[in-house]
Amino acid sequence: MAKSGIKRAYTFDILSEEQVQAIHRATLRVLWETGVAMHDERALKIMAEGGCKVDFDTHRVRIPERLIMDSLAKCPGEWLVKARHPGNDLIIGGPDRTHFCASIGMTTLDLETWIPREPTRKEYCDHIKVLDWLPHNCAMPAFPYFGFAKVPQCLRLVEGHAAKVRISSKAQMEGSVLDNDVWNIAICKATGQEMLHLCNPAAPLTFYEGTISQVLRYTKEDMPFHFASGPVSGATAPATLAGAVVINNADAIAGMVLTQLIKPGHRVWAGSMIMVQNMSTGSPAFGSINNSLMEAMFNQMWRRYEVPNWNTASAWVSSKAIDYQAAYECAMAALSCALSGTSAVLLQGGLTGELTAHPIKAIMDDDIAGMIIRYLEGIQINDETLAVDLIQQVGPIPGHFLTTAHTRKWWKKEQFVPTVADRLTFPEWAAQGMKKAIDHARERMEAILATHKPEPLPPDQEKAVEDILKEARAHYRQMGFISDDDWKLYQEDLASPNYPYA
Amino acid sequence: MQEEILEKMKQAVLAFDPKAAADLARTAIAEGVDPLAIMDKLTEAVKIVGDAFGRGVMFLPELVGAADALQAAMPTVEEAIKNRGQKRRTLGKVVIGTVAGDIHTIGKSMVASLLTADGFEVHDLGIDVPADKFVESVKEYDARFLGLSALLTTTAPQCRVVIEKLKETGLRDRVKVMVGGGAITAEFARVMGADGYRPTAPGAVELVRSWISG
Repeated sequence: MAKSGIKRAYTFDILSEEQVQAIHRATLRVLWETGVAMHDERALKIMAEGGCKVDFDTHRVRIPERLIMDSLAKCPGEWLVKARHPGNDLIIGGPDRTHFCASIGMTTLDLETWIPREPTRKEYCDHIKVLDWLPHNCAMPAFPYFGFAKVPQCLRLVEGHAAKVRISSKAQMEGSVLDNDVWNIAICKATGQEMLHLCNPAAPLTFYEGTISQVLRYTKEDMPFHFASGPVSGATAPATLAGAVVINNADAIAGMVLTQLIKPGHRVWAGSMIMVQNMSTGSPAFGSINNSLMEAMFNQMWRRYEVPNWNTASAWVSSKAIDYQAAYECAMAALSCALSGTSAVLLQGGLTGELTAHPIKAIMDDDIAGMIIRYLEGIQINDETLAVDLIQQVGPIPGHFLTTAHTRKWWKKEQFVPTVADRLTFPEWAAQGMKKAIDHARERMEAILATHKPEPLPPDQEKAVEDILKEARAHYRQMGFISDDDWKLYQEDLASPNYPYA
Repeated sequence: MQEEILEKMKQAVLAFDPKAAADLARTAIAEGVDPLAIMDKLTEAVKIVGDAFGRGVMFLPELVGAADALQAAMPTVEEAIKNRGQKRRTLGKVVIGTVAGDIHTIGKSMVASLLTADGFEVHDLGIDVPADKFVESVKEYDARFLGLSALLTTTAPQCRVVIEKLKETGLRDRVKVMVGGGAITAEFARVMGADGYRPTAPGAVELVRSWISG
């Protein structure tokens, strides 16, 4: 049975109805008066035939309100994405559904020095194994690492994707570099699953040829995907949060219009990936509460449009270490995202902006997910939970509730018990080595790696994956993307006795 | 027949059912079942729960629930042991209570239940117990262990009063005193002159066990 995620008992609307209408009207005005740039003849033709006002010289596309609303209505509000195991299929969207998903991260990092570095193949595979185990992680993230050591750059996403598919039967998200998605889609088909793709227009208001090619490819292959242009408020979007959300909306809507013109009813969702600019450094200000505010606004707009959406504020934090800053940046953003009604929260494992991820952080973040899930589940109010009869029976002191059947039945349902937070009393904690949550998470990681047995690929699918990899290797070697030195190093990796897991 | 009723008693403890445990104890004794065999079976059941607690599979509601079920059967079993002239196997005698002026009971009751389940003979004096009563009970039961519970900072100093009275009556060296409760810390226990402190009920059992093993 597919995973339906958390059913939110309540959702927080950050905007008033007037504000929702104001943002919507502003978005419509931008899409008609300013339009978007689509630097691809195929897209220009599709949009023109669909009813947009297109200038083929400047590549400017102006989209009328009627077409926008018609396209949004065609986007399915709730849909299934198939995983390798049917029990891990995901139902995405709906008015009150939220999933948690592990974070993207480009590299791993050394937990002694906090210096980012590329992972080894084994470290990459171990990270996937941990993510597969995490009870609150619904999917493998897009490139948890940007590939691993000894693999040529052009193949890193393909090798990484193959590793994820080999190890985890959970749903897969994946990004794309060059034409890597061609191979990744082939791997998915060979293993009987679909994939949630990333499709990134460029803020403000710009679609390049690569993005258009992705839209055409994913609609043809019937693979779901999102649009996320990643506007940075004060840089690629207005410095006002409302204006930045207008850009984010406009970019996503333009992509959805194109998609629905190509293939009505195709599964798409809106990714927020919106941040404010760090005005000291020029980088996005990861971890900023403003990002959460904008995502909350975005979520409300897309709930109104009845199209699924996902958030990234809790995945990308500014902290470079697993520390207090990382904890509050993640937790506050995750709670905000979830409460404001996103369909999926990216969370477990991210650090150092988008730069790093680590399985130990993922284990600690999974407790954040668990806490929020409990918070979102709400409270049951009925005769049994009000417990008036029981209170009558127990009465005042010396009566107590500890050993009642009611307590045994209810306490585990009512309480979320974290897995790695330390909740010992001080003397017990001192006697047991004064371990902090990160120490418990490290022990938990070692236990997972020693005992967790993810569902492997059946032999025919394993062979099919390896055959696709061989084809991809030959393709890029022939295209001249792999130097002799890189090829030699790669061959050493492939010859490892523990290939493909180390 | 005996095996059947003993098994039912074990299941009553594992179902955390004090009434069933007490009823079955009366039935078993009436049918001539050896009370020491009943004690062993009840203890066996509590140990199953205790092991599960240690592994993090069961928690305090189950642990204390099992201990309460055992305690419910105890009066019948103990009387039968006494009537038969048998001697109950016990790890030691404990007097426990909440100090004068303090009416908090649950922590003290948890410790009492867990000590009983662990094989100690426990005399629970209840709440708001005057210092003299603690001292009399230590003497009456020839207890080797005394547990004092205090939740309030205003009543915690009563622990020192009890310990001083033990000294006055010459009983202090005969009994190990442990203190516990929300108002107590390890430093407080040391200053009061207690022999030990643990912040949790299972920890209290470990402390008393450590005194036996030496």
